[in-house]
Amino acid sequence: MTTGALYLQQIINGLSLGAMYALLALGFTMVYGILELINFAHFSVFMVSSFIGMWALELLGLQGQGVILTGFALVGALVFGFVVTMLGAGMLGVAIERIALRPMRAARGTAAMITTIGVSYVLLNSILLGVGADSKNFPNPMPEMHWDIGGATLRLRELLIWCVSLVLMLGLHLFVNKTRLGKAMRATAQDAEAARMMGIDVDRVIVTAFFLGSALAGAAALIFGLYYNYTSFIIGYSAGLRAFTAAVLGGIGSVTGAMLGGIIIGLIEALGGQIVSVRWTDVIIFSILVLVLVFAPTGLLGRSTTQRS
Amino acid sequence: MIGRDRAAPRHGTLGGETFALLRRASPVQWVAPHLRSRVGVSLVFAFALLFPVLHRNDADIDSAANALAYAALALGLNIVVGFAGLLDLGYAAFFAIGAYTYGAFASFQIQPAWSGFWEPFQWLQLVARMPMPTGDVVHFTVSFWLMLPISAAVAALFGVLFGAPTLRLKGDYLAIVTLGFGEIVPIVARNWPSVTNGAMGLNGVAAPQLFGWSFGVDATPYYYVGLGLIAVLILVSSRLKSSRIGRAWMAIREDEIAAAAMGINRVKFKLLAFAIGAAFAGATGTYFVAKLQTATPEMFMFPVSVMILVMIVFGGIGSIWGVVLGAMILQILQSWFLEDLSQWLHALGRLIHVEWLQQIELVQSIEMIFGLILVTMMLYRRQGLIPATRAVPALSLAEQAAQVELAAPRAAERLRVLDNVAYQGDGPLLEVKDVTVRFGGLVALRSVSLTVPARSVVAVIGPNGSGKSTLFNAVTGLVVPEAGKVNLAGYDITRLPPHDVLGRGMARTFQNLRLFPNLTVLENVLIGMHARLHTGAFGALTRLPGTLREEAQAREHCLEILALFGNRLLPRLDHVVSSLSYANRRRVEIARALASSPKLLLLDEPTAGMNPAETLELAGQIKNLHEHGLSIVLIEHKLDVVVSLADNVVVLDHGEKIAEGTPDVVRRDEEVIRAYLGRSASLGSAAVA
Repeated sequence: MTTGALYLQQIINGLSLGAMYALLALGFTMVYGILELINFAHFSVFMVSSFIGMWALELLGLQGQGVILTGFALVGALVFGFVVTMLGAGMLGVAIERIALRPMRAARGTAAMITTIGVSYVLLNSILLGVGADSKNFPNPMPEMHWDIGGATLRLRELLIWCVSLVLMLGLHLFVNKTRLGKAMRATAQDAEAARMMGIDVDRVIVTAFFLGSALAGAAALIFGLYYNYTSFIIGYSAGLRAFTAAVLGGIGSVTGAMLGGIIIGLIEALGGQIVSVRWTDVIIFSILVLVLVFAPTGLLGRSTTQRS
Repeated sequence: MIGRDRAAPRHGTLGGETFALLRRASPVQWVAPHLRSRVGVSLVFAFALLFPVLHRNDADIDSAANALAYAALALGLNIVVGFAGLLDLGYAAFFAIGAYTYGAFASFQIQPAWSGFWEPFQWLQLVARMPMPTGDVVHFTVSFWLMLPISAAVAALFGVLFGAPTLRLKGDYLAIVTLGFGEIVPIVARNWPSVTNGAMGLNGVAAPQLFGWSFGVDATPYYYVGLGLIAVLILVSSRLKSSRIGRAWMAIREDEIAAAAMGINRVKFKLLAFAIGAAFAGATGTYFVAKLQTATPEMFMFPVSVMILVMIVFGGIGSIWGVVLGAMILQILQSWFLEDLSQWLHALGRLIHVEWLQQIELVQSIEMIFGLILVTMMLYRRQGLIPATRAVPALSLAEQAAQVELAAPRAAERLRVLDNVAYQGDGPLLEVKDVTVRFGGLVALRSVSLTVPARSVVAVIGPNGSGKSTLFNAVTGLVVPEAGKVNLAGYDITRLPPHDVLGRGMARTFQNLRLFPNLTVLENVLIGMHARLHTGAFGALTRLPGTLREEAQAREHCLEILALFGNRLLPRLDHVVSSLSYANRRRVEIARALASSPKLLLLDEPTAGMNPAETLELAGQIKNLHEHGLSIVLIEHKLDVVVSLADNVVVLDHGEKIAEGTPDVVRRDEEVIRAYLGRSASLGSAAVA
């Protein structure tokens, strides 16, 4: 492979990772936008939903990479997988909000965030104790189709990731900007108290944000499985922190920012591994997290959050 | 606990009746808890000392020694999270720094070539010369006892380094940044094999020696070192907590803005909390590595930080004995109880022939238990096992009935505390010149000027939103004016941070009350004295006679100030302010401002929310203060209060000064009437007051 082709390959990889991080970042940003809460449970919702996706595909009789589907069968299987995973993840998110976070609504300071760390631990260890510590082979019914582009390889799975992410993000964009509930959501993010006084059911908005954010995490989890062909109880932490960095970089609270941040972090991970060393990728990403928070806490597209004094 | 006894005014200059009142209000609180806790502490330590003798099981003593290490970490994190309220999710990073600092200087990892440079160090027994086939090399042999404080200092340095950029951040952002640092440190340890031996970890770290005798692998000596460490850290924690420093931390935790307005340098005290918390972890890291004789990056990852957080949440955030208890329980649960319980379940499984019971390994579920503890405690018992603040029973009916005694007849004597506050210089005390404040496109103040002569009362009035509170904020440094100048006693304070403004002699109250809600009345007022006291970390730890005297005088000063409000506040010294009535909270805020011995007092709607009788009472007390030479600027809506107190009135409307003069002149001013009552009213007669 020539150097140019190598970089092109890393850009393809980076865009795929980035699409996944963007979907995951949207969940962080939507919840933060409305509740000003950093939701650590999101890490584990992502991880748990990758298992939901795995079981859903296995329900169709797909095991590992043994069964390859084509045509309508493939499309049907994938649609089934995404719908089940996203619904399952969404319901998990709603359950977390109802059980653990709603009673914390009035709590001062960081109490709610500490609770989400606890929830994250409970979910993580439920999978660890229930399924085991070894990583699981993720079913992938896609044929090994690929195209050669300037020396780099573009696989079918990458194309799928891009299409699915594009459709979901477009859908979310339309939902937030064109529907009544989306408008209520934006109003609540601006000022929950005023929104409540205008007759908006803030609890419903919050539940919607958790459902949508978690469903998108579910989509990201299925993408993770289809991309890497495995899942395990530990995948939530590093992917979650990268996605969180993406949300912060894009400007936490901003939906477009989360998408942009996700793509940038994906590219940094892929190209940074190529240029510097894979060993230092994490340090690069966490340094971005720290630097953005310290020097430009509004990120690329974020609105300045009014600090209550 | 420790330090509690200092609260008792044993030989106060207060009138005998006030002192009697104090005793009547809470006789048990003054003496008993202190004695009780001292006996309790002695019993706990006696048991801890005897434990290895009573229970001669090396494995259990070893677990206990590990538990002590985690209790030490919990104490350190408690300083940062519990006292100063800064959520640190990467605390294990400092543990790692302490561990690797000792590990690097007490193992065979770093071996530079030998040269004459090392000879003095060899003479000091810090290094040894080691012959190697390729030439002699240096072998570091720095003593464990020397490295304990050095590691603590190195970790403290990193605490300041990591803390400095995070100072401006809100709670949750701060947590994320610390998490980032917490991730970076173990990765660096893994990727820097020349110092840390990478993922394989340091090996052969030297065991501590005492008079030539090496500790080796026997658990008992480590246990006693750990016990000593914990004893020191508990002492340090409790002495800091009950000192000026601890009060400053808790003030920052409760309300940063109010802390700054009360003279606390936030940057300095936040960094101090980070540094001391990190130092605890650094020393503990050294202890832990010396005990294990190895260090790997995995020992310091995010789960360790979370575990320590679980310990302090479980035990009680901010409570010294609580976090120690929390750490001990969780460690013992992990190393003894779950192990034993698994064995019992296996035995039961064999007995009743159930296969899966024999497979259960409960130790694996410890993180699940951590998660459940975090969620359960947060939802149902946020104050933890041992709450940091004791609930003080409400006053009895008889005590409440004894309440109407006011300070007025004895005021002359009691106001001695204000004797030296009167401004003696020439010229105006406060000069505000053409101050403009803009929030985005909104001009909150447009070129406002006003002068407060020494020993005068100036009232600032105006409709809601006219910029009165913004004026206070601009004058006290909470808002930086875009243009204009503020002089206090001839000194330019325009761009001074709030804590320096207070230091210069101007104290304020807030319109919406900014007390430290979870602290007691006495603590709130003591925080007001922050800028007038000098105790530093060293003084707080050593409790030299000078420090003790300062603290005793401070408490006495506070009691005298509280006595200004008769027996409204004195019987409630130990009550948490959030439990007080609204009027009493207003009084505490004024007392807190007075405690800083200001030359000028800014009161933002002091009588808001008070009934007519209380308003009259407070107005009388403010008048008293004024008669003693204190200058006062007052924002007030009740015009009868303004008329009875103010020498001069300044009227603001839409951020501009529209009138100024004596109360009589101002209330006849057309412009003022129009601002208050609208255009049509001004056509009628002057009907404002």
